[in-house]
Amino acid sequence: MIEFQSVSKKYSADALALNDVSLNIAKGELVYLAGPSGAGKSTLMKMVAAIERPTSGRVIVNGHDVGNLKKAGVPFLRRNLGLIFQHQRLLNDRTILANVMLPLIVTGAPGALAAERARAALDKVGMLDRARALPMELSGGEQQRVAIARAIVNRPQIILADEPTANLDRAAADKVINALRAFHSVGVTCMISTHDDQILDGATRVIRLEHGQLVDGGAGAAVGGAA
Amino acid sequence: MNIWFRQHRFALGAAFAQVRKAPGSFLFNVLVVAVALALPFAGLTLLDNVRPLSEQLSVDPEISLFVKSGASREQARALEPQLQQILAGRRTKIDFVPREQALDSLKEKSGLSDVIEALGDNPLPDSYVMKLEGFASSADANRVDGIAEQMRLLPGVESVQVDSAWVKRLAALLGVLRLVLLLLAITLGVVVIAVVFNTIRLQVLTQREEIAVSKLLGATDNFIHRPFYYTGALLGLCAGVMALGGVALSLRPLNTAIGEFARLYASDFQLATLPALGVLGLLAISAGLGLVGAMLSVQRHLARLK
Repeated sequence: MIEFQSVSKKYSADALALNDVSLNIAKGELVYLAGPSGAGKSTLMKMVAAIERPTSGRVIVNGHDVGNLKKAGVPFLRRNLGLIFQHQRLLNDRTILANVMLPLIVTGAPGALAAERARAALDKVGMLDRARALPMELSGGEQQRVAIARAIVNRPQIILADEPTANLDRAAADKVINALRAFHSVGVTCMISTHDDQILDGATRVIRLEHGQLVDGGAGAAVGGAA
Repeated sequence: MNIWFRQHRFALGAAFAQVRKAPGSFLFNVLVVAVALALPFAGLTLLDNVRPLSEQLSVDPEISLFVKSGASREQARALEPQLQQILAGRRTKIDFVPREQALDSLKEKSGLSDVIEALGDNPLPDSYVMKLEGFASSADANRVDGIAEQMRLLPGVESVQVDSAWVKRLAALLGVLRLVLLLLAITLGVVVIAVVFNTIRLQVLTQREEIAVSKLLGATDNFIHRPFYYTGALLGLCAGVMALGGVALSLRPLNTAIGEFARLYASDFQLATLPALGVLGLLAISAGLGLVGAMLSVQRHLARLK
């Protein structure tokens, strides 16, 4: 489902974010991406979402070569991904419901269908009762659960969560991780980057990066099964 | 409802939402664009009113020849073959106007029949009116002057007048006005595009996060661009309505003054608003200018957002 073949990424001559990284992630896997800040976790995730392109090597996502993907094809690749960011990136002038509807609206889905599915997604993360609230009225943990609802509302094949528990207390972080594990349990491929070792307890597969290089977990895949 | 239609409806809704967020700013921009549009619209309205007036007047030269007042009818009539000789080979209509007919016409047109009756004898001479066709250029005008000079030398001729000069001057003046208006319209069209360009630039900047998030969620460029296009077109359209409304309102006091002036010439001339088709055309142009400004701005500023 996701394949990196000798991928390197240079932002400038002396800024090598990824160095010859090769890895495979099979359909239905739950993979944690671990490493200290600056290890290249975010760059790796951005490549899966075609936010960045490799300087060398190939990144294959759902059969598409990200490096050769035309600009017009990028939105259609992203529609099969659920993206969760460290800082949620919810639109502050829109209600929670409107935020969660957005991934469906951009595809041209009817408003009623988008609202119905957004409510269902909010219900799954326990936030339906806050549908009419604005993001700023919610706590950080609640906002991250809304971000998860937004990521899953278009029923993506892959969820990419970049440091989803950063800035959250333990209880809120556990809720977020449990929600992601719940979606993995129904067959969604999940890739979660973190530098929080507590989250990795019981994980079946952890990919470790340091200074842009893969140090562990690149080859082989334990398919399925919650961590 | 297909996806295309739904996405356009969403974009239009997003454009209106943007207006609702900052109605004062939108209104101010509409006002600026309307002021820029009002001047060419007013000029066009004026030209549209004056054009039929100038078209009714003959641009073809007309020569009036007046026979000496003491000449008999036979002497006057005897001039016709000589006139035909001078005008040989040219498409010309020669009308003999007997002095009695000229007097009747004067009475009818001037409304001074009582005064004319009081004169007793008919003071008007017999005359010829000759309408020359196919004389349009300044070179032709010189030839007409040559013809008139030949006629002046005929025996029994009191005077010869060439009547087309002032009509030609009016036509030339209207031509110049049209050109000035075109240049003005182009200049102010650029001003409109610049104002909309800047308005959309500010909107793109304030909605940077929304645009970035939408792109990450799978929005196409078209989906992101459309609301800005609608905002630009809406701004142009509203400004067009305001400009046309302003021009229409200003016609009322202007017509009062024109009416008083026209009455002095026994005319009921009034400036009218443009016909419906013209109004629709100008509104389409206004919206089009807004759209062009928005497209240029979006192409330039959104390309910079990754």
